[in-house]
Amino acid sequence: MSEQPILELRGVTQEYPLPRRGLLGARPMLKAVDDVDFAVAAGQAVGLVGESGAGKTTLTRMLTGVEQPTSGDVLFEGRNIWTSGQDHWLNFRRSVQVVLQNPRSSLDPRMRVGHSLLEPLRSLGIEGDHRARVAEVLGQVGLDAAALDKFPHQFSGGQLQRIAIARGLMPRPRVLIADEPVSALDVSIQAQVLNLLKSLVTDLGLGLILIAHDLSVVAYTTSAAAVMSGGRVVERGPPLELFRAPQAPETRALVDAVLTVERGLAGKALE
Amino acid sequence: MTEAADIPAAPRRRRKLNVSLAIGLVLTLSFLGIAFVSLFHLPGDPNMPDVRNRLLPFGTPGHLFGTDVLGRDILSQLMMGARTSIMVGVGGASLSLLLGSVLGLWAASAGRVTDETIMRTADILLSIPGIVTALVLAATFGSGAGTTIVALTAFFTPSFVRVIRSAAISVLVEDFVTAARLYGRGRLFILARHVLPNIAGVMIVQFTLYFAAAILVEAGLSYLGVGVNRPSISWGLMLSEAQQQVGVSSPLAMWPGLAIVLVVLGLNLLGDGLRDVMDPKLARRGA
Amino acid sequence: MSEQAIDVRDLVVRAGGLRAVRGVSFAIPPGGRMGLVGESGSGKTLTALSLMGLLPAGLGATGRILHDGADLLTLSDRRFSNRRGRTLSMIFQDPLSALNPVQRVGEQIASVIRRHTGAGRQAAMAQVVDLAAQMKLPRPEEIVRAYPHQLSGGQQQRLMIAMALSCYPQLIIADEPTTALDVTVQREVLRLLSAAVDERGSALLMITHDLPVVAAMCETVAVMYGGTIVEIGPVAEVFRDPRHPYTRGLLDSQPDIDRIAPDGSSRLESIPGMVPPLHALPKGCAFRPRCAFATELCERMPPLEGGARKAACWHPVSGPRGAAP
Ligand SMILES: Nc1ncnc2c1ncn2[C@@H]1O[C@H](COP(=O)(O)OP(=O)(O)OP(=O)(O)O)[C@@H](O)[C@H]1O
Ligand SMILES: Nc1ncnc2c1ncn2[C@@H]1O[C@H](COP(=O)(O)OP(=O)(O)O)[C@@H](O)[C@H]1O
Ligand code: SF4
Ligand SMILES: [Mg+2]
Ligand SMILES: [Mg+2]
Repeated sequence: MSEQPILELRGVTQEYPLPRRGLLGARPMLKAVDDVDFAVAAGQAVGLVGESGAGKTTLTRMLTGVEQPTSGDVLFEGRNIWTSGQDHWLNFRRSVQVVLQNPRSSLDPRMRVGHSLLEPLRSLGIEGDHRARVAEVLGQVGLDAAALDKFPHQFSGGQLQRIAIARGLMPRPRVLIADEPVSALDVSIQAQVLNLLKSLVTDLGLGLILIAHDLSVVAYTTSAAAVMSGGRVVERGPPLELFRAPQAPETRALVDAVLTVERGLAGKALE
Repeated sequence: MTEAADIPAAPRRRRKLNVSLAIGLVLTLSFLGIAFVSLFHLPGDPNMPDVRNRLLPFGTPGHLFGTDVLGRDILSQLMMGARTSIMVGVGGASLSLLLGSVLGLWAASAGRVTDETIMRTADILLSIPGIVTALVLAATFGSGAGTTIVALTAFFTPSFVRVIRSAAISVLVEDFVTAARLYGRGRLFILARHVLPNIAGVMIVQFTLYFAAAILVEAGLSYLGVGVNRPSISWGLMLSEAQQQVGVSSPLAMWPGLAIVLVVLGLNLLGDGLRDVMDPKLARRGA
Repeated sequence: MSEQAIDVRDLVVRAGGLRAVRGVSFAIPPGGRMGLVGESGSGKTLTALSLMGLLPAGLGATGRILHDGADLLTLSDRRFSNRRGRTLSMIFQDPLSALNPVQRVGEQIASVIRRHTGAGRQAAMAQVVDLAAQMKLPRPEEIVRAYPHQLSGGQQQRLMIAMALSCYPQLIIADEPTTALDVTVQREVLRLLSAAVDERGSALLMITHDLPVVAAMCETVAVMYGGTIVEIGPVAEVFRDPRHPYTRGLLDSQPDIDRIAPDGSSRLESIPGMVPPLHALPKGCAFRPRCAFATELCERMPPLEGGARKAACWHPVSGPRGAAP
């Protein structure tokens, strides 16, 4: 954690207006994210856990610059992305990529995979040998070039998630944000995708932010994690420690909810 | 951890002949073919009265389908009518498709205020009976094919807006759109390259269905006298003349009636068939 | 006939010219609980739908399904629908698609009760409110008046369970009932399902790809792969000492927090490759292309053999999990 973070949130709050109660009076606001600090460095995998509605997805909207926070700073390489000018913004856009939850919905069904992979490069105006880059990235995610001419429906869920990861890697990002990247996949395929993400961190020095509601998934993949609830970070630490000695009641609830085969067989899982 | 990227190709599925598609195609193509021929050749003059040859029966040499009360050749009139139907149908359906797509895509991708404005306006337009619009237009600009097309467009566009908007929204909520935004694609690019190709099927199907509806509405308007007038000819006009002059039971009314039924049926079957063929759920089914 | 809550013998489901379910046999005793696990496309849902007589058009089932003194596959549609919801009922993965969007949830459940018990409108509605309360839904009188989309996924699924259990069925089939739910909600829903099934003495067939759920809920487990059962037996024995390489692979790919090394070096075991599509199933053992133990022998279909626990493998593995390098 000593390293200089690449992407950082400082005291970030995001509020959304709720429907007015009466005719008069101020609109009540909902704090979807409430005064959160969060950071990721190169070669580091950070987990973000919490039940649904905790504010995880809202947090990723701040991290990816899709929404500007009500207050607080979003820093990329130490400088605020909202105030540091066009060049810095462009650099930020290239350097932070996402992988979303549902692989079937992540790729345009009418676009060949090869075309989808080139999209980020074209959109971000990145020069260079695109074909070589595609070949390189396909190698990194363990797919072969035959995939390029096909359409998404010709792949299984696990393969599609690899393709989505490949697309995220195309512009050589420094941070990859994965929002529930395995919850739509079968168990044996989940393992393949988590292992892939983990090796990208060690091999490419990527910063990884892994969002999940299952603490055991995060524990496998990351070395540090934050637990969110009601828009706030309620606890931080190495996931195994969070798991063995949860301090906050919200962490405790997540830990209790983790089902494992052993706990199930011991008859304790549903107590 | 490299794995073969391809699922082996599915064995060629015995394509069950899609019956409605086949019948629809045959009917629609014959209709288009007849209209096309009418551009170069008509067996007689559809507007030239010939008092000596009035009300000739079906099968008369020189007048295959017979003649009407004024002795005008019915086959020629039917062929001219097909041409009008296509002009009005294609005109009305494509103009409303165009307008409906622009407005529908705009409503789907813009903010709430724009969306609400467009949709509420569409609702209001939908609540005005089409015949009222047609009468007002006919009274203002005079009746004719052009006015009919404008009336049809006013009448159909709101429904197109609804269909296109909801189809577009179902694409816009997909993760690939979110991903495209994240790597910096703008709204127009997303609409053109992601949304349009994914709703093209819906658009084509809607087009055939509204083409058919346009033909029906045009027939209705001409029948009421606010559609097409001579020297242009439409099937609705033929129906109306036949009824005024000799009563509906005559074969004079049967021919244009039959033409309308066959063409509308053909286009509807074609639309249904296309819907089945292009159903993304069927197309997207894993190999 | 059979004394079991359900006794399935050699069930085959054909889709086009292909067999999607290829000879499945199992039985659940009254009040028993069996888990049916396997990856997407292994045939779990089609098996369940055959039991319910709800196979989609174009698919046909053969074999025998003995339940409540009849072979369900020989029943007429009318007699089948008279059973559905009464002696056997089903809970679906996506509650929203199983509920009628334009009818209040309470009325939907009440109509099931009225159809099968002949209870009056008022009595049925009172029963529905009771059920909702049993499912720990807050303010049950109000919730039963809601339309499906006004409820959260967890609430919808609890109502589906209430509906499925309303007539005390002998067998309840739950197809991925909690996959769409958040972990904390999942636990609550499983707990309610478990209690409700116990109270009514119903048998449960729990379909899922989530092994911990089966470990927590079931007594026996059947593992499906490529349309066949590859291993079946008491859940503790199968999960602690799997015989079939696929079962073992599934267990090893579980992210099990109790087995993670603190230094972050742990990698999940994963089964290489993926489930082959129906038309490309290999000859013999369907798992062959992904199996580390495959030999020439495996080009012949291994029989499902054994006593209380059976495995279909020519080279069964053994020894407790986690011991392997
Ligand atoms: N209506 C259908 N027509 C043709 N084939 C089908 C149909 N439904 C399912 N199949 C095929 O049958 C096989 C088993 O499908 P099934 O839905 O039972 O799998 P599953 O184990 O329930 O998977 P999941 O976990 O995704 O629900 C698959 O290969 C599937 O593609
Ligand atoms: N655009 C929005 N408008 C209003 N409320 C929102 C919006 N986005 C999220 N929220 C609310 O903020 C909270 C956090 O949401 P989200 O970040 O999506 O949670 P998670 O990803 O952990 O499931 C929830 O209560 C959600 O309903
Ligand atoms: S039969 Fe052969 S291929 Fe199949 S699981 Fe056993 S060892 Fe593997
Ligand atoms: Mg979320
Ligand atoms: Mg299923």
